[in-house]
Order: sequence, then C-alpha cells, then structure tokens
Amino acid sequence: MPAWARRTIMSFLAPLALLGAAIVGPIIVAMYLLKLRREERVISSTFLWQRMVRDIEANAPWQKLRRNLLLLLQLLLMLLLVLALARPFVPVTGISGANLIIIFDRSTSMLATDESPTRLEAARRQALALIDQLPDNGRATIITIGGQMEAPIAASSDRRELRRVIERIQPSYSGQSDLTQALTLASALAAREPDSEVAIISDGNVIIPDGLRVPARVRYFPIGRSSDNVAINAIALQPGPIEQTLFVQAINYGPSPVTRRLSLYYDGILSNAVDLTIDPGREQSWTEAIPATVTVVEARLDENGDALPVDDRAYVVSPQRETVRVRLVSDGNRFLETGLALLPGLEVTRVPTTTLTFTESAAEVPLTIFDGVVPPELPPGNLLFIGPLRSTELFSITGEFDFPLIRPAAIEDPLLRNVRLTDVNILRAPRIVPGSWARVIVDSDGGPLLLAGEREGRRIVVLAFDLHLSDLPLNIAFPLLLSNMIEYLLPVSSVQLTTGQPIVAPVDSSIEEVRVIRPDGRVVSSREGLVQVQANQTFYTDTDLPGIYTLEERRGNEVIASRRFAVNLFAPAESQIAPQRDLAIPQMSGAQSTVARERDGRQELWRWLALAALIVLLIEWLYYQRNAIALLRERWRRRAAS
Amino acid sequence: MAEPLLTAAFLRKLDRLALQTRRAMAGDLQGERRSPKRGSSVEFADFRPYTTGDDIRQIDWNLYARAERFYLKLFVAEEELNVHLLVDTSRSMAWGEPEKLHYARQIAAAFGYIALSNLDRVNVTAFGGRPAAVSGIRGKRGAVALFEFLQRLEAGSSANLTQFCRTYLQTARSAGPLLLCSDLFDPGWRDALRTLTSRPFEITVMHILAPQEIDPPIEGDIRLLDSEGGPAVEISADLDVLQRYRESLREWQNEIEAFCNGRGMRYVRVNTAEPIEDFVFGQLRRAGVIR
Repeated sequence: MPAWARRTIMSFLAPLALLGAAIVGPIIVAMYLLKLRREERVISSTFLWQRMVRDIEANAPWQKLRRNLLLLLQLLLMLLLVLALARPFVPVTGISGANLIIIFDRSTSMLATDESPTRLEAARRQALALIDQLPDNGRATIITIGGQMEAPIAASSDRRELRRVIERIQPSYSGQSDLTQALTLASALAAREPDSEVAIISDGNVIIPDGLRVPARVRYFPIGRSSDNVAINAIALQPGPIEQTLFVQAINYGPSPVTRRLSLYYDGILSNAVDLTIDPGREQSWTEAIPATVTVVEARLDENGDALPVDDRAYVVSPQRETVRVRLVSDGNRFLETGLALLPGLEVTRVPTTTLTFTESAAEVPLTIFDGVVPPELPPGNLLFIGPLRSTELFSITGEFDFPLIRPAAIEDPLLRNVRLTDVNILRAPRIVPGSWARVIVDSDGGPLLLAGEREGRRIVVLAFDLHLSDLPLNIAFPLLLSNMIEYLLPVSSVQLTTGQPIVAPVDSSIEEVRVIRPDGRVVSSREGLVQVQANQTFYTDTDLPGIYTLEERRGNEVIASRRFAVNLFAPAESQIAPQRDLAIPQMSGAQSTVARERDGRQELWRWLALAALIVLLIEWLYYQRNAIALLRERWRRRAAS
Repeated sequence: MAEPLLTAAFLRKLDRLALQTRRAMAGDLQGERRSPKRGSSVEFADFRPYTTGDDIRQIDWNLYARAERFYLKLFVAEEELNVHLLVDTSRSMAWGEPEKLHYARQIAAAFGYIALSNLDRVNVTAFGGRPAAVSGIRGKRGAVALFEFLQRLEAGSSANLTQFCRTYLQTARSAGPLLLCSDLFDPGWRDALRTLTSRPFEITVMHILAPQEIDPPIEGDIRLLDSEGGPAVEISADLDVLQRYRESLREWQNEIEAFCNGRGMRYVRVNTAEPIEDFVFGQLRRAGVIR
C-alpha cells in the first residue's frame, strides 16, 4: 500500500454497525412504499387537477424527485447515523493513552514565524488535535514551559475547558524552556495512572534534565522548520561629554551568511540605516556617535528572511542622570568639599552643624553627609557619617583608640574598587560597635573603620575616623573612595534590563502613586497594586514584553519624576531557533527517543457525521413541515401588511 | 318528499322580478314580451301599404283620408318567451357541500318561477345523467310541475356536454333566454358553448362550483379519484400545490369568462356556499340576468 493511501485510509472501530444499514435501509424503503399507497379521495372531477399537474410536470421535470425527497433525506440520515455508529477514524500521528500530559512550549523561540502563522499557533493546533484524539474516557493535563512553568489545567476530561486553556496560552518572553520541572511534574502525574502518555509540543530548544526516567511513554511533536535567525544581542549607549556612543551588535544564528539592514531610531525617528553582513554563527557590531540629546535609541533589523522577529529589536535608554542634591552637614571641610566638587552630577549644599531638623524629603535630597556631627534626629534618605562623635540608633560608640592598624580587606567590595587603604595612617578613631544591618568593609585591630549596609530602605556608610585626623585626604585613594561611596549611596538605577527582570527604582515616601507605561501602551498603577511600592522603593515585575517602560512618580495629578527603562530580549538560547527532530528523554521502557514512529493516534470522525445527521434531520423536518412554515410566513406577511 | 326547493317567502320576492332580455325575442303564443314580429298590442310600430289579403280591420282610416291610399297600421307584437333551462346532472354535480346539483335545481327553479310569473314558456332539460326534459310549462300554475320535475332530477353518469348541446340546438323549437347550470368539468366546454351560440339564444352560463372545489381542504399525499370515472391524479398536496391549484382554477374561470364575453354570453360564477337568496338578489341582479 503506498504511503499516501495508508495515510488517508479510513477504518472503522465498530464495522458491525454498518450491518444496521442493511436492516434499517430496506425497512425505510418498505415503509415509504407502503405509505405511497396514498389515501384515496373522491372528488367531483379531476379535470382541473389534471390540468394543473400537466402544467407542473411540464415546467419542472424534477418534481418527481421532489416527491421522493423525504425518502432520500431519510436514507441519507440513516446512512450518516450508521456511519457514525461504526465509528470511523483516520489514523494520525498522535497519542493513544487515556491520561495525556501535554507539555506545551510557549517560550520566545515559539514565536518564530517559520510555521504559519507562528510556531506557537502550530503548537496550539497540535495540542487541540491531541485533545480531539483523546479517548472518550481520557483526561488531560496541560503544562506550559517557557518562563514560569504553569499547569493551568490538570487531569480534566472537560474538552471544552481544555480547549479554552489551550486557546489562552500566551507566549512568554522571559526565561528558557526548561523541561526539568515539567517532566518531574509529568512523571509524578504519570506514575499514578497506568495508561499515561506525555506529549511534548515544542521546537526542541529545551533543557533536558539528567537522571530522570519518565514512567510513561513520551512523545515529542516537533514544531518548526527553519533556523534562519539574526538577533540583536547587545546594545549600549556610552555617555560622553559632547556626544554619546551607540554600540549595537547582531549575531547570525542561521546556517548561511545574511545581509540585514539595521535601522536606528533616535527618540522614535528613523535616523540611520546600515547593512550588516554576518557570517553564520558570527557577530557583527556597529558603533556610531549620536547627539547627547538623544534619550532613547531603538535598533531594528529588517524582517527579510528572519524566522523570529521578536529578537530583531533592541532598545537602549541614555543613562544620563540628572543632578542630585547632596546635603553636607559640616563646619567646613576643604578636603571633603573639594572631593565632592570633583564628582559629576552633584549639587552640594552645606548646612551648619547647628541644624537640628531637616525638612526636605528623600526625593529632594537623597543623601546627607554628616562630617563629625550627629544630629538628634536623622533626616530621611541615605546617610554618610564621617568621624561620628556619639552613638546613634544605627551604631554605638564605646570609646576611642589610637593608631589603628588597618587589616587588609578580605572581600572584594564595590566601595573599595581601585582603592588601597593599607598606606593610610590614622591618628585616632572612635571604637564603633555596628548594628546588625552593617557589614564591615575595612576593619582594624581596634574596631571597624568603614561600615556599609542598608536599613529600612536607606543606605548607610560610616567612615569611622575624622578626615582631619588621618592622611587619607592626601592619599590617591581618597577621591576614589569618595567616588565609590557616593556611587553606592546614590545608586543609578539600571535602565537596561532583560525581559523578566524587575524594574526597581527608589522613590520618595511622599510619592502617592507610581505608574508604569508599558511598551504595549497599557498603563499600570500602584493604586491597583500592579506596581509595588515599599520601603522607598518601587518594583514592577511584569516586564515580559521587550520595549521601553516609562515609570512615572506622581503626587496628586502631578508627575514628579519620570524614568525610562529599556527591556530587551537578550536570550541566546531562545534566539537559537533551529528546531530539534528528536529529544532524548529516558523513559521507563528503556526508550530514549521520543519520535512518534507509528501512527497510533486516531482521529475519530463520528462527531462530524453526527453533526451532518443532525443537519439532515433538521432539513427533513423543515421540509416535512413546509406547509406550516409557509402558513406562518403568510400570516406574518399579512400581519406586516396590515 | 324533501324540503321544497324554494321557500314561500323567497317565491313571493321572486314575483317582483322579471327576466331581462337584451333584445326582442320571437315566441309562439301571445305573451307579454316584445317580439320582433308585428302583432296586436297597443304599441304602435309602423305603417305599411295595404296589399291584397290584409286584414282590412287594420287599415288606418285617418291616414286614408289624408293620403287617399290604404295603409295598414302595425303594432308591436307581444309574445311569450321560450325560456330554456339546461341543468347538468352529471355525477360531478352531485358533490360538494352544499351540493352543486341542489344549487343548480334551486337556480333553475328560481329562474323558471320568474319566467312563469311573467307568462313565459319554460323548457327544462336535464343532461348528463338520465336524460329528462319537460317543455312548454306555462303560467304560474306550471310552477308546481316545474318544481316537481326539478326535485326528481338525479345525478347520473358522465356527460358529454358538446354532444348534448348539439342535440339540443337541433331540437329546441324557438330560441330564447337560455340558462346553463353546470360545473363545466368537461374538456369540451369550449365547443359546447360555441355550438349554442349558433342559434340566437340569449345564453347565461351559471358556472357552479362547490367551496371544496374552489379551495380544496386536502393535505398530504392523496390519490384523487374522479367521480365520473376520469383518470385518477396523485398529488402531494402542500401549500404550494394548493396555491397552484387555485391559480389554475382562476385562470380557467377567467378563460371561460373571456370566451363568454367574446360571444355575447353572460358568465356568472356560482359558489354553492352562498345562500340562494343572496345569490339571486345579489349576483344575478348585478349581472343583469334579472331585474
């Protein structure tokens, strides 16, 4: 038998039912013939009737057929019902187990358009087909992988619900397709039922766990054909004094060299386009100087021959920061003031040490530096203590000690980046007992000299000794240490994120509402609880969609501050879309391969036949009741006319 | 005997009516109708020069005094009419509710009674069934005989309308108003009516149909048998077929009407559902058959 014939041939599960046609058919015909012995009625004369019948038969030769229409319809109805009872099916590649566990890949690579319209839709079709093939008493579980693993429906026999769940699966833009969790869950589910089967619908770009034996048959339904894909895998914007430097890098995951056009949009306006020729497996970058005024750059590759358009776009936000106000509580410290003045983007306000209360909020003055003083009440915002003289609620001072011996730092801390403090000599330092929040960065034989840590959402650094009592300000390490401390205390919130990474930004406690404008135009607000605000920080986690997110801090109807974040899909594992033909998953049966070789799925057709029978029944009934219907129509028309 | 054909009250009303003829008709005996002939009445018609053998009593002596020649003064003859009542008694007439034959009898009776009360002579001929005829009934007293004859009429077998009309044409003594009461269920109705026109009858066709024929109350698959033994017809009566039937009937009636109008005949559609009094005083009067 040729392959195509094997593929299309229809078989019956209950062929004996066809015998029913041999029995019922003649009965219908016999009944019809019996009924054909018409009721006889004597009328005055058939003169007029003959005349009419002659007319009708002359006009419509199909009148004879029309007379037998009911019989034909009944025979057709019977045939359809008998065929449905015989349960015809077409063998298809599919499943035969009664407990079906579908692992559905919804990762980004499933958005590839090499299947029509996308791999995800093809997978959806495949999943729906599997649900169709589910035996009548079968149950199905659906597990989605890609990003967060979910099992939206478990062991359900409600096909409608299953279909609904499948229809609703949305692609995930973050995380890799990891089969570990899903297969573990599937194994647990399969172990409970003897007739289980696991169907993996994926393009095969998945992580397969080691050492797991699935106690059921695993079938893999590969989706996808093409591996042609070029992705932008890096984009950066380096600020400079006059202009910024844009860096874009694209990588070719496909098997052949391609030339793609890279279009660059500065603040939404197409400003440059270059052709990049990339060899297979290689990267190609583009560097360009752009004006300092540009805040958002979008890089796009044209869609020519690319199977996955999602990774052809990348966004970058200029990391320029606005000037930050810093409060310096000091009686005058030339070293400190000179050091701070050298740092860019700071606006230092000196406040006399007699100041007792601070009115500005943390948003307005995010950092306060106490040079040798400790006020009775600490201001909001981050704090830098230099040579504190008395205890606070953050630490206590138990005395002083002379000539501390600095211990080399054991840990690599960002505060000590490029800084060596071992050459520094200190005359005297207070003996500080730090609170539990602090970590000791520079220790000495007499006590910690540099502390840093976070408490209640604020960052705190304590430099134990007075600058005037050491030679640190004369040391090369001083400006670097100061810079590191300021960098730690005034963190630049990262504006470059990958999908799935949360947006985190400090906010002032006076902010009433935080809104996030998503790339798809949706606006979410902290009022609805979709953006979390706690301890002077705001979090937004739903960053699955690549693009520019704008975070607005609002007080009343006023926008106090607005920040932009670029979220990019830099997922090499997902951009590598070459479909796999087979997945090697160890099964209890000893099999490793998951390719379906036999066509043991059955696409049963009786539902369609039953539907057709229903339609035929309806037509027959309508035809039989045509007089009543015509009468109704007549009455209706008359009523409408009157 | 069954109930009388016509009620006494109805007959009294009929007394006030008369047959309307469109032209003068020649008759045999003296009567009350203008005749094309000259005869004795009070109505002057013409003068004519005297010729030998004329009745000298009819000479107009005043004219002789002026013209000194003999002229006869002629008067319009008034004669009786010969009214012909043809009643179809084929089996198809004994059908319907109310029965068509009974209705035909009533029409014939009413018509005959009007004629008799106007001193006309009435000839009744039944055709189709057992042939029966009575001729020359005169005077109101003859009404009894007329009614009795009509009551006795029974439906027989099939009728050949054309054949009967040819025979009647030859046997009728003098032409006059002719009333044909039939359902015309005969393929040869055209020939039959054409035959009758070859003598100067003043023909009125009473096309009698039962309501069951005008709107057949049938539904479903039915084999229709002809009461006169014609071919049976199988139909699946649905609304569409009934609609077609009604159209066909209407066309047929229009066809007959057109045929009659074209040959100077009156054509009256009769539905036996209509009470006979309403029919006579309504439709027959409107049609100008009686006045």
